Amino acid sequence: MNALRRLTGNCTPRTLWSLAALLLLLLLAPAFLGKYWLSVLILILYFAYVGQAWNIVMGFAGQLSLGHALYAGLGGYIAAGLFFHYGIGPWAGLFAAVAAAALAGAIVGYLGFRFSLAGVYFALLTIAFSEFTRIGFEHWSWAGGSGGLFLKVDAASNLLDLRGGPVMFYYVILALAAGALVLCRALLESRLGRYWLAIREDAEAAQAVGVPVLRCKMLAMVISAALTALAGVWNAFYYNNLFPETAFAMSRSIEITLAPIIGGLGTLFGPFVGAVVLTGLGEAFTDAGDALGIPGIKQIFYGLALLVIVMFRPAGVWPWLSARLGLGERTP
Amino acid sequence: MLVAHHDRISRRRLGALALAGASGLLAAPMPLRYAFAQGGGDLRVALLLPTSGLQAQIGQACRRGADVANDVFADMKMAVKLDIANYDTETKPDVARTQAEKAIDAGAHVLVGAFDSGQTIAIAQVAEQHGIPLIVNIAAAPQITEQGYRFVVRNFPTAPMLITGALALHKEVFKVSGKTPKTAVLMSVNDTFGTAMVNGIKALFPTLEMPYEIVETITYDAAAKDLSVEVGKAKATKAELLLPVCRLNDGKLLIQEMVKQRWEPMGVMNPGAPGLYEQDFLKTMGKYSDFLISNVPWLDPRTAMTKALEKRHAAKFPGDQLDINGGFTFEAMLIAAMAWLAAKSTKPAALMEALRLERIEQHVMVGGPIEFDAKGQNVNIKSAAVENLKRKPTVVLPLDSGAAPLVFPMPGWTDKRRT
Repeated sequence: MNALRRLTGNCTPRTLWSLAALLLLLLLAPAFLGKYWLSVLILILYFAYVGQAWNIVMGFAGQLSLGHALYAGLGGYIAAGLFFHYGIGPWAGLFAAVAAAALAGAIVGYLGFRFSLAGVYFALLTIAFSEFTRIGFEHWSWAGGSGGLFLKVDAASNLLDLRGGPVMFYYVILALAAGALVLCRALLESRLGRYWLAIREDAEAAQAVGVPVLRCKMLAMVISAALTALAGVWNAFYYNNLFPETAFAMSRSIEITLAPIIGGLGTLFGPFVGAVVLTGLGEAFTDAGDALGIPGIKQIFYGLALLVIVMFRPAGVWPWLSARLGLGERTP
Repeated sequence: MLVAHHDRISRRRLGALALAGASGLLAAPMPLRYAFAQGGGDLRVALLLPTSGLQAQIGQACRRGADVANDVFADMKMAVKLDIANYDTETKPDVARTQAEKAIDAGAHVLVGAFDSGQTIAIAQVAEQHGIPLIVNIAAAPQITEQGYRFVVRNFPTAPMLITGALALHKEVFKVSGKTPKTAVLMSVNDTFGTAMVNGIKALFPTLEMPYEIVETITYDAAAKDLSVEVGKAKATKAELLLPVCRLNDGKLLIQEMVKQRWEPMGVMNPGAPGLYEQDFLKTMGKYSDFLISNVPWLDPRTAMTKALEKRHAAKFPGDQLDINGGFTFEAMLIAAMAWLAAKSTKPAALMEALRLERIEQHVMVGGPIEFDAKGQNVNIKSAAVENLKRKPTVVLPLDSGAAPLVFPMPGWTDKRRT
């Protein structure tokens, strides 16, 4: 009860009612949405979830990682590989996946933070790790090499093995996204969360007042990597195929960062709002491109739209929107 | 000004506006989408291709083959018209999946696509869940037809079929020319396709009793900007034959470097890879593109349907070359059209049954009739030896499909036959 009060303590009744209504709508969505709209909603929740995971390291702790595809890829490959080779189900496999991704996050974090790599230099380190992992997986026959790893498709729903149709995957990613939201809220309300914010604002000042900077940054990396690995597991079982050149791609890492940047870096609902805006814009421009028969038009207008959002709402859409709607979320 | 404007909006109104905006954003293209699928035709075919992103160039080449399909059907007196709707997969499996859902939502009876194996598998799952037939135009991963899909057929060779077909043609080239190299060097890009090909060649090579020995395998990064070291290393092996597994840009680098280093092996014959026959390669490399041989599935220049397709393609896309991509995508449309002609129904089960029983004698690619085995794979596709002659990829083998005589060994880079 106390924990619940701590989680919801700062929220206005309007915020809590809005959240409850949103959750109810999302729970009922498969009943009234067609499969296409459901697949769009799945994408929104996926990007919201991975955005939330990335937000921990960048939005809360202020460390720029541009290689988060590494953790999603590792998570996906390990869980999928264990399932493919040994029949170990994804719920068991995800422990190994999360452990491997957390270890990778710890290695990257230690190398970066211990040797005071910051800003673009830390970002380059994260990219480098993602890239050489890609090259490694291209030559690792257990993981299918560059020819890819394909999971056997089964239309019958089986939650234990994560085999089945989109409705099941929808509820799984919804649970992940909701869980990540609660976890992030709890983290922000904790001492660790406050340390992160202090580090983000001024790491030297934080250290001077006794914040264990290295340990806090490491925890941010490890938690973020572990959460991203869960998304990777979900992704691998949803799409049933993995290729190193896409699983660890730089473009995948960039995609992970977009929703929180557009929605509002360091905010709890920013990744959700950003994912809605980005996926909505993406779908709208994809449709327009298909209908007009001009390939690539989407990328041009999508880029322009993002430019406009960043220019006029540099802090993201959510802080502006929440202030206007009177929805109370603490903006650290 | 902006601030002043926002201040006039009440909280309640902004909430409503935000909701309307979000709904509008997602729903705005709806009229376009539904109008698109009502173009009039016997069968609604959703063509899912990567027409933007990394594979855009190839995706667009595929699409051109489909764009002229109805005209060719009319020329061939086929009483069928397809209503083809185009969907861009943006070279991403997640987009491919959503686009497939969208296509089915818009009323597609058949899906066709998607050039790339990862995207194709993403679409295949959607097709299976909805029970809508998917005709794979191009995708070589064997797993696509090994998953037990009930609604998927593929009219493209698997990677092992590509390699086996290509290496068999190598023997044919040596037999027809009377010249047989004893050593070869395999050079390959180390991307997904290249690595799969190299592994496939290594696995199949001992079983095929090839007359030459592969003395060295050299791989290079897909983003390589200079291949001088790799070509130098290959030249040093004194191999008589080069087997390049390349794509477009590295193919150009490779040949440029060979010319620069004056390396003139007996031949350059790819073992089932793209690059050497592509339009941009031919334009850029000019005379140095001639006499290079690709062993790939290709259009059979002697069939009436190929002639009709070439004519329509040249008329509609005068600046673009018709190649394997356009050919196979056209054939996917042909397969859909023939299924409708047999079933006279747009019901998925009837169409799928027609696809399973299909036997299309008259088509455009080299090989036997199009028909699918129990797994949905067309096993009658054959490769052709396609030699660049006067800047045009020309079928030289098999002899009954040949449009010009084979030239082998390859003339040197300064030979007068290169003009």
